[in-house]
Amino acid sequence: MPASLEFKQNSHLDPQLSDPGATASSVEKLTGHWVNTNPETRGIAECVIEPDGLDLIVTVRATGVADPIAWPPTRAAVFANMEEEAGQRTSALAVNFGFGFMKSETLIRVNKGVLVIVLFNSFLDDSGRSDYVTREFFYRAD
Amino acid sequence: MHFVQLYDRVETDPATTAALDTSPLPGIWVNSNPDTNGIARMAVSASDGSLFIQAYAIGPDGLIDWGKTELAIFASTPGARMAAGFTCRYDFGFAETVLQGMLMKGLLVLSQFHRFKDDSKRADYFLREYFALEHGRF
Repeated sequence: MPASLEFKQNSHLDPQLSDPGATASSVEKLTGHWVNTNPETRGIAECVIEPDGLDLIVTVRATGVADPIAWPPTRAAVFANMEEEAGQRTSALAVNFGFGFMKSETLIRVNKGVLVIVLFNSFLDDSGRSDYVTREFFYRAD
Repeated sequence: MHFVQLYDRVETDPATTAALDTSPLPGIWVNSNPDTNGIARMAVSASDGSLFIQAYAIGPDGLIDWGKTELAIFASTPGARMAAGFTCRYDFGFAETVLQGMLMKGLLVLSQFHRFKDDSKRADYFLREYFALEHGRF
């Protein structure tokens, strides 16, 4: 790795970041159909993560009053995950959902076979609702 | 009221809504991992009704001061008024870092998304680390 690389912390200089073999996207552990472990959730009921060329598309169905609410399929940004837990290293996804009245910055990762979705929801309307964060867990259904 | 999941359906009156209580966040947050190669500690402070974070990361010759940036604060539900997390963004020119923090039982779980904007061909990467609030009681 060239010594002239800019950095703001030592991990920016981690040689693995320049090694395609070390950071190869292990997205197969992310792709598929995932169902919320909590049947009483008031949030995301299920999601599908599927490849689209080199990208990943995330499709969510969330809980609604009568029927589930389909969120617009949204492209994910893929990040090499420098964590290794139980010998696993799987990419993490960042997804920005836009709904007009609200936006949701989303982290998706897998931890020991469980999909973890963290939503940072920001309201853009004048409803007085607090921006809020949720974390939910999903099991593989396919 | 617009909603995209049932969590969103909370009736509030904007005229009587109290401000968010951000008291759990200010202070010095220290990485639980003494061998980290990332952020060593973070100072969260309040100013003019907003919260700011100043991160100090591990560099080859000591701590690197990232400077201050404003936090976006999040509660645990749309009806809650207590801070439960935050996001913020640092733009370093050659790279952009997004931080997402969640409070869990007194611990701050910090997710970091590092995206390189230079031509170094380094992979964008994700890190998750844990921070404790220095409280000086014990």
